[in-house]
Amino acid sequence: MKHFLLLFFSTLSITWAQKPTPVQHLQPSVFAVTMVMIHDVVNPPAAARFYSYCLMGAQEFVSGQDKKIPSPTLIARDFKKPDLSSVKSYDYAMAATYCILETGRLILPSGYMLEEDEKKLVDAWIQEGKSQQTIEEAIAAAQVMAKHVISYSTTDQYNKLSTRLRYRPIKGDGYWYPTPPGYMEAIEPHWKTIRPFMMDSSSQFTPKRPVTFSRDSTSEFYKIAYEVYRAGSDLSPEQRAIASYWDCNPFAINTSGHMMIGFKKISPGGHWMNIASIATTQAKLSFNRSVLVLATTAMTLHDSFISCWDEKYRSNRIRPETYIQQRIDKTWQPLLQTPPFPEYTSGHSVASTAVAEVLTFFMGDHFAFTDNTEVIFDLPTRHFSSFRQAAEEAAISRLYGGIHYRDSIEYGQEQGRNIGKHAIAQVKKAGYR
Amino acid sequence: MIQKGLLYLLVATVIPLVTWAQKPIFQLLPPDQTGITFKNEIIETETRNIMEYEYLYSGGGVAVGDLNNDGLDDLFFTSNLQENKLYLNLGNLKFKDITLPAGVAGRADAWKSGVSMADVNNDGLLDIFVCYMGKGDADKRRKQLFINQGNLTFKEQAKEYGLDDPSYSFQSAFFDYDHDGDLDLFLLNHSVGKYDNLELYKYRNDIDALAGNKLFENQNNHFVEVTPKAGIRQHSLTYGLGIVITDLNKDGWQDLYVTNDYNEPDYIYLNNQNGTFSEVSKKALRHMSQFSMGLDIADYNNDGWSDIVSLDMLPEENRRQKTLQLQENYESYELMLRQDLHRQFMRNMLQLNNGDGTFSEIAQTAGISNTDWSWSPLLADYDNDGYKDLFVSNGYLRDFTNKDFLKYWGDYKIRKAMDREPMQLMDLIKAIPSSRLPNYVFRNNHDLTFTNKQAEWGLTNPCVSNGAVYADLDNDGDLELVVNNINDPASIYQNLSRENNAGNYLQFKLQTSKSNRNALGARVTIYTKGSLQYQELMPVRGYLSSQPLTLHFGLGAHTHVDSVQIIWPDWSVEILRNVPANQRLMLEQKTFKPWTASAIKKSVFFEKVKPLITHTHQGYSENDFKRQPLMLSMYSQSGPVLARGDVNKDGLDDVFISGDQTNTGKILIQQKDGTFKAIENLVIGDETISAASAAVFFDANGDGYDDLYVAMGGYSLFEPNTASLQDLLYLNDGKGNFTLASLPSVNASSKSCVRVADYDLDGDWDLFVGGRVIPGKYPLSPSSYLLENNGKGEFTAHRFPVNGMITDAQWEDLDQDGRKDLIICGEFMPIKIFKNTPEGFTDQSPQYFSQEELGFWSSLLVTDLDHDGVKEIIAGNLGTNSQIKVSPEQPGELYYADFDKNGSIDPIFCFYMQNKSYPFVSRDELNDQIFPMRRKFISYKDYSEATIDRILSPEQLSSALKWTVTEARSVVFRRDQGQFKKEILPIQSQFAPVTQILSGDFSHHHQSDLLLLGNKSFNRLKLGTMDANYGCLLKAKGLGFEYVNQGESGLSVNGDVKSVVQLRVNNQNYLVIGAFDQPLQFYQLK
Repeated sequence: MKHFLLLFFSTLSITWAQKPTPVQHLQPSVFAVTMVMIHDVVNPPAAARFYSYCLMGAQEFVSGQDKKIPSPTLIARDFKKPDLSSVKSYDYAMAATYCILETGRLILPSGYMLEEDEKKLVDAWIQEGKSQQTIEEAIAAAQVMAKHVISYSTTDQYNKLSTRLRYRPIKGDGYWYPTPPGYMEAIEPHWKTIRPFMMDSSSQFTPKRPVTFSRDSTSEFYKIAYEVYRAGSDLSPEQRAIASYWDCNPFAINTSGHMMIGFKKISPGGHWMNIASIATTQAKLSFNRSVLVLATTAMTLHDSFISCWDEKYRSNRIRPETYIQQRIDKTWQPLLQTPPFPEYTSGHSVASTAVAEVLTFFMGDHFAFTDNTEVIFDLPTRHFSSFRQAAEEAAISRLYGGIHYRDSIEYGQEQGRNIGKHAIAQVKKAGYR
Repeated sequence: MIQKGLLYLLVATVIPLVTWAQKPIFQLLPPDQTGITFKNEIIETETRNIMEYEYLYSGGGVAVGDLNNDGLDDLFFTSNLQENKLYLNLGNLKFKDITLPAGVAGRADAWKSGVSMADVNNDGLLDIFVCYMGKGDADKRRKQLFINQGNLTFKEQAKEYGLDDPSYSFQSAFFDYDHDGDLDLFLLNHSVGKYDNLELYKYRNDIDALAGNKLFENQNNHFVEVTPKAGIRQHSLTYGLGIVITDLNKDGWQDLYVTNDYNEPDYIYLNNQNGTFSEVSKKALRHMSQFSMGLDIADYNNDGWSDIVSLDMLPEENRRQKTLQLQENYESYELMLRQDLHRQFMRNMLQLNNGDGTFSEIAQTAGISNTDWSWSPLLADYDNDGYKDLFVSNGYLRDFTNKDFLKYWGDYKIRKAMDREPMQLMDLIKAIPSSRLPNYVFRNNHDLTFTNKQAEWGLTNPCVSNGAVYADLDNDGDLELVVNNINDPASIYQNLSRENNAGNYLQFKLQTSKSNRNALGARVTIYTKGSLQYQELMPVRGYLSSQPLTLHFGLGAHTHVDSVQIIWPDWSVEILRNVPANQRLMLEQKTFKPWTASAIKKSVFFEKVKPLITHTHQGYSENDFKRQPLMLSMYSQSGPVLARGDVNKDGLDDVFISGDQTNTGKILIQQKDGTFKAIENLVIGDETISAASAAVFFDANGDGYDDLYVAMGGYSLFEPNTASLQDLLYLNDGKGNFTLASLPSVNASSKSCVRVADYDLDGDWDLFVGGRVIPGKYPLSPSSYLLENNGKGEFTAHRFPVNGMITDAQWEDLDQDGRKDLIICGEFMPIKIFKNTPEGFTDQSPQYFSQEELGFWSSLLVTDLDHDGVKEIIAGNLGTNSQIKVSPEQPGELYYADFDKNGSIDPIFCFYMQNKSYPFVSRDELNDQIFPMRRKFISYKDYSEATIDRILSPEQLSSALKWTVTEARSVVFRRDQGQFKKEILPIQSQFAPVTQILSGDFSHHHQSDLLLLGNKSFNRLKLGTMDANYGCLLKAKGLGFEYVNQGESGLSVNGDVKSVVQLRVNNQNYLVIGAFDQPLQFYQLK
């Protein structure tokens, strides 16, 4: 898999070929994890959780070497120091990089696919002239750390999800109901029971109440639905491009007669993980700083999805597609396929805004960058003047895409900003300067 | 008048059948022998492919008919993309391509679909009508009518006849809908857009002139559209794939059955006898095939009523079932029901005509439900044994319902992008595997079932097959098969039955002298030694195809037919007597003796009457699979519960009716005038927090008045050891006051039954209360209780020592020691017999049964059926009409434990398929329940091979608990030297689960008959609704039973029956039937 990655990422950093540095293996390792998640069609909340654990061990390794990088044990609830007494000396950066793949291998459904990436990483190290012993020591340390993280992950209530009651659409007007074409069951109705990293609870950042549902064509609700309808009907080419760019639907089903094809895209979290990679590379951040940025991004995403999903199954709000077809235009279809969960708040708005706050904190406002994440999904690159601008665009894209109302976006952004600020405070509190 | 066609007269052979069974019936003839080289070639390109046109693999048809009146049937094939072919039959199974001189090649650049032959202008020469599909230019879709000029040349005259219609058509059928003597036309159409939005179905009365079906009336050889006037639906969600015209209700008028693909339900248009039709599919059918394809309608059980076969896509093999998309989405199913799209399931359906306007769908009992992606069903007697067999063509050029393809194709696309290589559409298309399959042929076993004879009869050639016809092409008295294949030469299967001396036959070629010369719509019944065979002459059957005008009957060993009844299209009736076998009768209508549809009045044992109590059970929509997703069925649907008593001792039957979400439970007192009045201010049970599942009136406190015990059951969100599952006892003061009395805690599980007996011989009534299921903890064994009465209506609860999910129980002193023993049955349980001793109950089942009878038992009756002083046990079971097949050699197994140790029970069912036991659960369902399984199987293909020992580790397997089941049939156990000996009840008893059993002399012959009621509709979608029971009356006949057909019994019971009581009102006996979500149904016993 890696030669694709090199092709893709080699355009980002021309200096790689000259002098090997540990940071050059960082982004490809995170991307390898992304590719397995794409293969497995991991849903957005679950993806954020996987990223967090994959990077947690790396951050712990780095914090052991660098006083400026706080340990995740000071940030992530209930996370304890691992017992590394069985491993003596090891190259912490190598161990940290390998730990990303190793944790992914152990935790992802198709984790076995990362065996190949681990082998390629080892091959690259050999090429760089690392000794067999150095490599073995790093792997041994990484394996101990990965096991420790996995053991921590088993206490986050994830494995209890299958014991809980599956979602039944609430009867009555105004509530979410499965949407075409797949009419899939609601995704992760109990995600709020998963342990957050930095928030006190899933409901710490409950957003404002959504606009009250009404069938009445003079109501506020009708108005916000009509806005989605109108927007979707007269999209400018630029709006259309924005909506498609931020679609981030891991699995859009396309039907043609009896034929069904699943079109895959990176999840919203995966997209932001990649933006974080692009930015840290562009800013030429050190390995240590890069790991911290990536790990904090992942944990912020995880808390964002917990908070957002908590609200989704509190309000259980109807999707624009359902409402518009019932009340405004029976044949209307959104540009994007409606994702299979309740509408309020917009997950992309919450997560993008939260992460943009965190990235701005680490790398400054007005950090301009070119995002090429979507190239492999047949979409162009996009230029952004700042993380906040990118997040703004990601949020409003859901209105253009016809899958969210405006209040869901705006209140979702507010929710995201609070989560982002809280994350920054936690990182500061843990000792980051 | 009989003309003995010299050519056709063959000497009857009297050599008995010896070796024919070993020899294949069908022999595939090579194209160079027959001269038929036609092949429906589909070459996929970047511009012409399945993504661009969804119907690229829909295939071509075949029409057969004697175009030059030489006594030999000729063949016409449609080619989707190339030229149609017409072959002249030269005899001896040799054919000559005369397409070019005949001028019937059709438009080469347009999509040709179905073909039919009919003498449209009634000139004595068969004409050919070809339909067109395709998305593009409307002119390329205009139908073509090739009018036979008499010299094997044809003139295309669709426009002249008014039939150059440009709608999207799959097939046409000529028939006389208004009984005016000429041939009208039905056009079977198909929308070229697919609409995923289920809610659009509410616009079904909109008209889409290109997609909607059409009806044309023949007005002096000019066809005029009458669709809306006739009441035929025409909306854009029309997805017609099959059409058969037949007289379903035997009123003489032609009715229509139309199959629809996707979510659109099939249509049954009953002829209103006034030029209009009524769509009655939901009334007639309990459920139907979902992705309905081809269709045939013919009487396969020789009862004179036409039965319906509609095809779908469910494979037979485990491997293919696990890799394809089966129904698992309860959200869209619920929406389908809400949108009034009826219950549709993905498998072939065989709708047995009950003769009373209803059908029992029994394809699974019959053994024909799973034939993969299927196109053409053809019911005909291929082995000449007197019963129609079934041929099914199948196969698909690109198997794109493959789940690995759906889920992982996207990776390939991304990799291409990463490699910066262009994604070619053809790469995608070529990545889809082809499903080339041998066609199926099923032999009719003469007992409502079929046996797959694919291999034995010689259909072993795997290909992608679509339209097909049967025809006696060599005039030797058996039916050849002709199949149109994609990318393979058409298959010509010679039938060797006659060559192998298989059986005798009789054929009919009918002619009328006036209009409709070929007598379309004529009905022929032949009678031999008390049995009959019935056929209607209507050639459009199967898929895109048109069958011969000659009717073929196999006669088995019969060398003559006692009599033949022909009802001509003008409703004249003609009777022929003593007709010798082995000839083709060329009959021209000479008699005009009028026939009238006679409503045959039979004695009816039960008469459906207006309910004496108006009460409709409001079923609460619950989905237990949201709580335990791997169960096979739901347990919430327990009501309505009925109980009979006489609470005021006035000699009149009173009745308890349990409540539901909108009504409260109540007791109704019968008044002197036979009306019923509820006891005021009495509310029994609270169905918002609990669900009544059984009830009984008995005198609990010995005051002489009936008290009421209500057991709580169901599943829902109920928690064990809470008020939801606590039973209720109401004591009656004899003055119409019922007071809630105290009971010990009996709330550890959901209950199924309450049975009363004085087990300890202390002069008061004690109770057995059977435990059904622990809500949320299926299939752990629930608690059953023995409630010991102290004589004052105060009970002590004892746990009854039985392990299993109890469904029913009966007290009976089997060993005649004066103490009532207890007989218990349950799901995944044997029938258990507990001997009642002063020291307690001991399990003595092994003394009564030579082997454990492990069943899905659902009801018990203990009674002396044969009046010999010894009682029989009648036990209701699941029946054979489901995807679940079990036997002692191939048991059903249920492994359970908390395999992933996360606090929930994981039940895994395994059933045998094609001689190997496989898990019932799909990969997605398993992954959703046991997360670590996501890491165990990397693809659907990988999972499709898995047996339980690969799913579970040796440690998990050894720690798993297990339930087993070996018998699914409903049976009678008769005593034989102390032991119970099993007798299987008639096949009609096996059509559905039996939940209630009654006995009585219902047919007034001084013997005990049985009445079985049941059905079970809340199951996994892969099982679907089990609902073929309309009240199965079994008349005692010696020591056996004979099924009484629905018309004769008078029973047409709706719904899942949960309770039944017999009531006496105004000196009449009534059955009161309580079915889930239905009004109470009353039948008067005659």
